[in-house]
Formats: sequence, structure tokens, C-alpha cells
Amino acid sequence: MKQVEDAEILEKFSDLKTRDEAFNLLLNKYQQKIYWHIRRLVIDHDDTDDLVQDVFIKVWKNLENFRSDSQLYTWIYRIATNESITFLNKQKQRNNTPLDEVSGELEQALVAASYFDGDKIQMKLQKALLTLPEKQKLIFNMKYFDDLKYEEISEITGTSVGALKASFHIAVKKIETFMLNEDITF
Amino acid sequence: MEENLEHSEWIKGIKGTGFTTPSNYFEELNEGIKAKISVERLKSAVSTDGYAVPAGYFEQLQSNILARTTGFETEQVRKPKIVRLWRSGLLKYASAACFVIMAGAGLYFNMNQPSTAKKSSYSDIATEQMLFDIDEDVIIEHIEASSKEAQNPGTSQAALENYILSNYSQNDLSGNL
Repeated sequence: MKQVEDAEILEKFSDLKTRDEAFNLLLNKYQQKIYWHIRRLVIDHDDTDDLVQDVFIKVWKNLENFRSDSQLYTWIYRIATNESITFLNKQKQRNNTPLDEVSGELEQALVAASYFDGDKIQMKLQKALLTLPEKQKLIFNMKYFDDLKYEEISEITGTSVGALKASFHIAVKKIETFMLNEDITF
Repeated sequence: MEENLEHSEWIKGIKGTGFTTPSNYFEELNEGIKAKISVERLKSAVSTDGYAVPAGYFEQLQSNILARTTGFETEQVRKPKIVRLWRSGLLKYASAACFVIMAGAGLYFNMNQPSTAKKSSYSDIATEQMLFDIDEDVIIEHIEASSKEAQNPGTSQAALENYILSNYSQNDLSGNL
């Protein structure tokens, strides 16, 4: 199916008569991308489901005020990233978990996850990702799984391209070390 | 000789073209290449994350979001199902006939059975007739006895025995017997 252009979605959304249709097109185009982006950060499917809905409700409420000085999908990604980080911070506060033990909790969620079809090596990669600081994990996911450019990630996270590159290289090195320590060769 | 001189000047010119690189570029380039190789190797082993979703999840997700925003889905896709009760005229007339028969039967039985009010009035007349047949003195005697009993409620057998034993001597009792 041909993907509709963001400009067309925005144009249709600006007209009250075609607003609903525009939002439907936007959902078709982005809901899966946003789901996976959030899922890789919060791990649990049900939490992701709630967050995706909240993200698109925010998009619906604020799209009218969206200014085209940034790209539509980086704007949606930014909302999704902020919602996910807020959720993870709340989770830490609620469980009174020290920052260095958060990955342990997420690892438990990963092992107990109802919807994880991955094999041993995929599980190891996810466990390796959980050892990374939140920002490195976020950057690695966007680069590795979403194939975003540094410039796009920079727009989403508000971090300079140079800093992003350094973070990504460190993340890759850490993951490599983790995997080799677990006797996984690749 | 003159030609060689011109040539070396030209090379000097090329060397100084003015192209520059970002600061620390060559230090970072090394790290960048290493990371890229690692990522390529990792991707050949693990290309996806392994997460899954329930079957039909994304269709449901879209419906849920639209229902909470535009209402589009609830109106157009999730229209409430209307089940027609009167599919044919025959069923309609049969139902009407059943209703008439039920109502008629109810009315008929209601008219032929004495009501509870009537029943109670019949029992009152019967009681009155019975009292009329009993002798008046017998009734008065019965009422008086009942009222006395009510005024002096009966004492227990043990209390009566205690009273006799404490107020009468053994001789009095044996004399009376």
C-alpha cells in the first residue's frame, strides 16, 4: 500500500471536513512504528498499549498547533519518547527502586513477558540493552531497529549529532562485550 | 626546467585546496568504523527484537484510538448491530393473536373465580352465624374467664408449691386432705 505523505495528512487535518480521515491515515502510517519504539523501552505489552493510545490522543489534541518547522514523524516520536521516559520514571518512583536496579526489574518483565517470541540470542540482546543507561538504550534502538539517521534522532532527543554518535559507539561496545561474556558469538 | 617549476607550483596549489575536517574527525572515524562493523555482525545474527503482539492487535488498537479521538470507528465500523424482531408479517400477526387469546383467557378466569375480598366476607358471615347459634351465657362466661386469666397470669407449679409450703403447716395440709 502506498504510504501517504505527511504534507497531505497535515493538509487534510487542517480542514474540518477531512480531519477524521487525516487522522485515520496518520494512524495507518505511524501506529506500528510508535508501538515498537515504545515497546522496546517499556518491555511490557499492556503498558505499551496504554502508552501508544495516550501518545495518539496527545497527537490528536495538538496536531492543530503543529508547526512544520520539524518533521511530523520526529514530532510524534518525540511525544512517544517523552511519554515512555515519564512512565519509566513514575515506575521507579512508585516502586522506590534505585536507578541501578531498574534494569533488574525490566529484565524480570522481559523474562515474564507474554508476547516474546524471540530465540536465545534475541533474548540476550534485549538483556544486554537493559544494562545500558536509558539514553544509550534509546539511541541504540532508534539507530539499530528503526534505522533512523543521526539528524532525525537529534531532532527527537534534542541531543547533538556528535554526542549521539559517541553514545551509540559506546552502546555498541558494551553490547558486544556483554554478548561475548555470555558466550554468544556473532 | 621552466615547465617543471610550473608543475610543482600547481601541485602545491592542489595540496592547499582549503578542504578541512571537523575537529577530532580522524580519532572518531576509527571508533565509527569499529562500531559499524560490530553492528553489521550483530544484525546478521539478530535482525529483529523478538517481541510479538496478540493476533489482530493493531486493527483493534486503531479502533480503540479512533473511538477515543474522532469517534470515526464507533460510527462507521462498529455500528451497533440491529436485530430485527419482526422479520415477516406472519410472525407479527401470530404474536398479536397470542396476546388476544392470553388476555381473553385471563379475563375469563378472573370473572369466574371469587376474589379474595369476596372470600373474606363469606368467612365473616359464617363466623357470625356460628356465634349466633351458641348460648349467650356460655359466651359471657368464656370472655370473663379469659379476661381474668389475662389479669392474673398463671404462676408456675414450683412457685405455687413454695407458697403452700411456706404458708401452711404440715398438719393443716394433712387435715385438709
